[in-house]
Order: sequence, then structure tokens, then C-alpha cells
Amino acid sequence: MHYFETLKYVFHVIFHPFDGFWDLKHEKKGSVPAALTFVVLTIITLAIEKQDTAFLFNKNKLSELNVLVDIITVALVFILWCVANWCTTSLMDGKGKMVEIVTAIGYAVFPIPLIRLPLVFLSHLVTMDEGAFIKVFGIVSLIWAGMLVFFATSVIHEYSIKKTVVTVLITILGMGILMFIGLLFFNVIEQMINFVLTIYKEIRFR
Amino acid sequence: MKKHFKFYKLILASLALSFLFGIPSYASEPFESYSYNYWKLAVRQPYPYLYDKTFDEKDFETKLSFPDDMFYFSDSIFVADTGNSRVLKLDLNGKVLMEIDSAKNKSDKLNEPRGVYVTDEGNIYVADSKNARVVEYTKDGDFVREIGRPDTTLIADNVEYKPMKVVVDKDGRIYVIAYGINMGLVEFDRDGNFQGFMGAAEVNVNKFYYIWKNFLSTKEQQERMQTIVPTEYSNIFVDKENFVYATINGLTGDEINAEKDCIRRLNPTGTDVLRRLGPPIVGDLRFSQDGWSSFKDAAATDYGCYFVLDDANGKVFAYDYDGNSLFIFGRSGIKEGNTQKPVSLVINSDASKIYVLDGVLGNIVSYKITDYGKLVLNAIYLNDTGDSEGSNACWQEVLKRNSNCEMAYIGLGKTFLSEGDYKKAMEYFKLGNNRKYYSKAFYYYRKEVMEENFGKIMAVIIAVVLGLLAVKGYARIKKWVGEVKCTTLKH
Repeated sequence: MHYFETLKYVFHVIFHPFDGFWDLKHEKKGSVPAALTFVVLTIITLAIEKQDTAFLFNKNKLSELNVLVDIITVALVFILWCVANWCTTSLMDGKGKMVEIVTAIGYAVFPIPLIRLPLVFLSHLVTMDEGAFIKVFGIVSLIWAGMLVFFATSVIHEYSIKKTVVTVLITILGMGILMFIGLLFFNVIEQMINFVLTIYKEIRFR
Repeated sequence: MKKHFKFYKLILASLALSFLFGIPSYASEPFESYSYNYWKLAVRQPYPYLYDKTFDEKDFETKLSFPDDMFYFSDSIFVADTGNSRVLKLDLNGKVLMEIDSAKNKSDKLNEPRGVYVTDEGNIYVADSKNARVVEYTKDGDFVREIGRPDTTLIADNVEYKPMKVVVDKDGRIYVIAYGINMGLVEFDRDGNFQGFMGAAEVNVNKFYYIWKNFLSTKEQQERMQTIVPTEYSNIFVDKENFVYATINGLTGDEINAEKDCIRRLNPTGTDVLRRLGPPIVGDLRFSQDGWSSFKDAAATDYGCYFVLDDANGKVFAYDYDGNSLFIFGRSGIKEGNTQKPVSLVINSDASKIYVLDGVLGNIVSYKITDYGKLVLNAIYLNDTGDSEGSNACWQEVLKRNSNCEMAYIGLGKTFLSEGDYKKAMEYFKLGNNRKYYSKAFYYYRKEVMEENFGKIMAVIIAVVLGLLAVKGYARIKKWVGEVKCTTLKH
């Protein structure tokens, strides 16, 4: 299917999740490039939101903001989720493939840029008292995206609701474990490099 | 070569001159000066107060022994000299003007008085701790009356009544902090009749601790645990509006992090009305070398700025009416100008001098206000009296000396707001990190912009609506034309 068509299909997915995710998987109505586009959009939205929300609603210390950190954080969460979800579901008779997980999650996070990007613009037009809806809609976008992720997991792996809940919990745990292993790995590598460097220096200074 | 020699000579001469007359050098103060900003970061600022001098036994011509309280009244300082069981009245050079050591008659001696207060009429109240009474004297030191143990069953008979501090408000109500009584301040009416307790410090218990203590721990463990009791007040101060500032001493870091009150401003019904719009009013926001701040005494100006003494670090914290951090200065230590165990703080009538009583050394350390400090306080004072122009001028001067002063930006922003320069007001409130007033300024600014550009905005909206209608209409016409064509083709 054409890239643009798959992009447009997201509006069907976010309003009809069960039908939409089923079609993503079986009818190939979505595409990985489109999904990655939505993920990039989300990353950009969250970064822009942090910097460009109006002063009234922006409690971040702008002088200490690092876009790179924001980008990496969101991207890392996405990658970790996909990997951890794939790992757990392949052990729990999940029917989904890695490509399908990535596609579905990409489509599922679309409410975040959809709602939050206009909110950044709107925040410049309202006062503090009128600004309650900004907070509300921000939360709504998160809940919406969260539910979509949940349904996506359920549909793609053909799980019952109960099993999905368990899978989600294990996936979150798995993300933690992956992080831990990653940190451990980096630590060990760092020590090894240090060790080699020290030996090299010792030999050179002799 | 000759020129060089001359130059050399010039330097020598100027050196000699400078030694003769002394270079105007600025001795480094024995403490730092900073305040907390919106981000809860300590930001250095010019000194608001400088160390002035120390009054010690040479000035008093007598030795103080563990003095515990001090009061400033019309150019004289009253000190409760606890260890020597007397109350001294000093002039501003530290000379003793009057000594009170007995009550009804010569043989009725005071016993470890720990608090002293002077009313506007000059009557002296002394909290005579070991004798379990509050004694009133005239301004000349003649005995008037004594107020003994409150006649109530609310204090158990086996509990010792030991008044530590005393204040009298403008209506004659007498408030006493009594040792070991944690139901709040003991309140007497003007005739000395017990009225009740006021402003009890609430107990808020950590839930986990409560469960652990009452359900999970063994009897032996329970016995070794502290009982959960409300904290007692360490000192009290009555301000112009009859509100009582009460400090709470010795909170742990956990309690401070849980935002327990360290200072309260009690209205006559005992409710805390202290405004907390700035960073938490707990002294230092981070654990410092000597531990968390521990508020020992407070003094307030007539326009709502208050100074709080921290006896753990020997610092003085100044806050404005809204609870913004104004100044922090002072330090405990052994340098001249430091204190070892500060116990009491008083300010003179225009806050140009601050006196801190050292309980261990028996000294009084005085601090003198600088131009910067004067400007800040004056700006707040003028703002309080409604003179926004004068306040504006002061804030401008403050900004010249300290461009980090958020208060100054907010102050100037308020002036711009009242003058109707909303855009400028927004800019200043942004610099001062004040979102509440920024929102206010923004509201008017938006209204202004909307009114100015109402025509344009409406034109754009109408154009968009018309455009959409046109597109829709075009599609409908096209569809209709198509249908017509279809029907004609069929025929």
C-alpha cells in the first residue's frame, strides 16, 4: 500500500482500535515507515512541548534543557517496550511478530502528537485560569495512547484481556530488567576498557 | 632608564602613602549572603547586613550567664540573663541601665527567667521559669503583679509548669510558652485568668511509622521509640496586627522535607495564616554542613517582613510578607561576627540593626543594614503603604546592585501592571518567575491586542468560514451536475 494511504489509516485505527489493529496485522493496511513517522512525531511533540509551551504552563528550567536527552528518553522507551514485549510474548504464545509490534505501537501513540501539538500552540493564548483544559487534554492524550497500546497488544498477539494485563505488567518488568542489564553491560565494558588503558599506560611509563 | 627609575619611585611613594593612610580595603565578612530563588537555588547577593560589633562583658561591665531571651524596646535592649537569675536593661552601647532580680520584695528572687517582653506602655513581663510564674513590672522595674500556674485541669497535676517565653498582644492577652506543654501557647486574659491554649502544633504522623509502631513492632521496640507528640514552640513574637509569630525548633530533615511548619503566624484564634507563596519557609533548603536549619526566634517589621534566627547554623533568614526569601546571612563559628549558640534575635524599629544574643558566650552580636538591604526593605515598605512610585524607584536601584533579584522584577512588574503597560509587566513577571501576576498581565494584554485587531481577526475568521462553505458548495454543485449528467445520459 502507498505510504500516504498507510499514514491516513491512523485515523481509523485510533477511533476503531480493535478493527484497526486487526487490519494492520492481517490486511496490511499499515506500514513500518508510517509507524516510525508517528514515533518521530511523538518525540518531536514531547521535545517541543517541553521548550515551547507558554511561560504560564511551562515549569521547566529552560536554561538546563537538553533536547538530546528528551529525544533519547522517548526513543529508548519505545525501543525497550518493543523489545521487551516481543521477548515476553514469544514466551507466552503471542502471535505477533516484531514488525507487527513496532507498527501497532507506532500507530497507538498517535494521540499524543495529535492532541499535544495543538495544545502547545493554544497555551500561548490562554491565561492561568482558563488553562485547566490544557492539563486535562494532556492527560486525556496519555490515557488514550495508553489504552491503544493495551488494545494493540491484545489484538496483535490475540490475547484475552486478562492475559494482556499480565503481559503488559511483565513487559514493564522486562523493560526494567533490560535497563539493568544494559547498565551492567556498560559498566563492565567501561571497567574493561579502563583496565586495558591502565596496563597500556603502565607499560608505556616504564 | 631614567624614566624607569622615576616610575619605580612613584610606585614606592604610592605604597608608602597607602601604608600611611591605609587603603580602603573591604574586610571580608565572616559570613555569606544569599537568598533562594524560584528554582530553590541559593543565589549569592550583595550583603544586606554587615557585622557591626559585638557587645560583651566589657560593654556590660558584668558577665551574662546563659542568657535566653532578648527584647528591643525604644532604644534599649532587655536581656533575660537566665544563669544569673536576673533581667537586664541595656542601652544601645551595651551599658546596663537597670537590673531586675527580685519580684514582690527583696527576698523574692527570680529563678532562671527565660523570657522577657515589654509592652508599648513600657511594662516589663518576665517568664520566671523555675518559679512557675510570669511577673509584671512597671517601666522603672517596680513589681506590679505575678501570674502563676494556670488554674486548670487541662494540665495534669504532676506536670511541672515552667514558663519559657512570654508575649503580650496589643489587647493585653498574655501568651506563654510553657516547657513540656505541647497543647500550644498558654493564653491568659489581661487580668491574668487562664483562657485556654492557642495554636497547638498539629501532629502529622508518617503513616508507615504509625503502622510500624502500633502493629508491627514488639513491646521492647515500642518502649524504645519516641512517643509521637506535637512539637513545642521555641519562641514567639507579636507583630503590629496582633498576630503571633511562633517558631518551631529542632525539626529533623525528614520532617522538614515533609513540609512541616517551622514557623507559624497565628491569628488571635490560633490559626496559622503565614503566607507561603515562595519556596518552603524552612531555612536552608538543602542539608548544610551543620545540619538542617532550626528556627529559634523571629522578629517582624510593621510591613510584614520577618527575620528568623536559625540556631543550628547561626544564620538569619529574612522573608517578605508572601514568604519569598529576602536575605540569608550570618554564620556560626569562632570568627568575630559569628555566633556559637544564638538564642534570640531582635530588630530595632526601622530594621536598620539586628541584634543576636549568643547563649553560650553571653554576647550580643549586632548587624548593621547596608544600602542594598535598606533599598529592598524600603521598596517593600513603600509598596505596603501604597506608594508604588517610590517602591518602583527603590526596585530600580536594587536591580542595579543585584540583577538576580526576582522580588525587584516582580515589584517593577506590578508597577507596570498598574500603569497599564502590560507587555512590559509580562516581561518583568517572566524575569521574576511569577506566573500568577504574569497571567494577570497577560489577560489584559490579550484583551488589548484583541480590541486593537478585532477587525482583522474577524475578517480572517469570516474568510475561513466562507472559504470552507465555498469548497463544500462547489463539491455539492459538482455532485449535482454529475447526477444531472448521469440522469440525462440514462435517458
